[in-house]
Amino acid sequence: MNEPSENSKPDHLDALFATAREHRPDTSRAEYGFETRLLARLRERRQPDAVSLWSVVTWRMAPFFAVCVVALALWQAEVSSESNDAAVAAGLNNPVAGYVWEN
Amino acid sequence: MDSARGSPPDEQLVSAALAGNDDAYAELAQRHKGRVFGVASRFARDAAELEDICQEVFTQAYFKLRQYRRDSPFEHWLLRITTHKCYDYLRKRRRRAPHVSVDEMLESGHEPHAPQPTAAHPDLERLHAAMGELSDKERLVITLLELEDRSVQEVAGLTGWSASNVKVRAFRARAVLRKLLDKSS
Repeated sequence: MNEPSENSKPDHLDALFATAREHRPDTSRAEYGFETRLLARLRERRQPDAVSLWSVVTWRMAPFFAVCVVALALWQAEVSSESNDAAVAAGLNNPVAGYVWEN
Repeated sequence: MDSARGSPPDEQLVSAALAGNDDAYAELAQRHKGRVFGVASRFARDAAELEDICQEVFTQAYFKLRQYRRDSPFEHWLLRITTHKCYDYLRKRRRRAPHVSVDEMLESGHEPHAPQPTAAHPDLERLHAAMGELSDKERLVITLLELEDRSVQEVAGLTGWSASNVKVRAFRARAVLRKLLDKSS
């Protein structure tokens, strides 16, 4: 209706559009109580549930845990190398261990 | 219009909603839901989809309320969101549903747009079936222009497309609809 039709005269399509305009769907039932449902949904969206909160916290803590794992691995490597050195030194002073070491 | 009746204007309600007043936003929703439901009902297939579209429109509007610049009426801003949301639904539906032609649809007695009150108007049923054959963009344009009785400029403003783009899409859509309706009659 805003643009002239191809034939510049009202045709069947224009008549159909006019009828469709007159028959606007009745949405009154769907609109009933809409604000209440909307506010409930908004409150739900604003307050994240426990699972999503937990996943957010864990993701944020991930770098911290990664640093802890690396530090622990380094410390473990340090401790094991020290104990190996100590064991070798102890073995050299022990005649039985020295015999086992040599054979 | 609202201040004349003593109720606060939209801008005041927007400010109150931004300050955390939920009742103000509920008042805005109550004031504008009719227009939003009216437009969305032209695109929704059933009552559940209509509710979904409208809920998403008002939810998105709520979380983007700070982006409302107040240089145009609140309703225009809200209807732009509605238009985009309806277009999103058309696209989603197209991706999910397999293509069915108008003839197949009419033969099977399938009603493509359940909320449309077309039972008493078989011609309208044919029109809605034929509109289902249009591309999503053509369908959006023709619905806003012809069923919602908007001007080309208004449709351009709502969709964000140029006026000439809207005219071209409307012209193509009308040609396709004529062809389909001639074929099915």
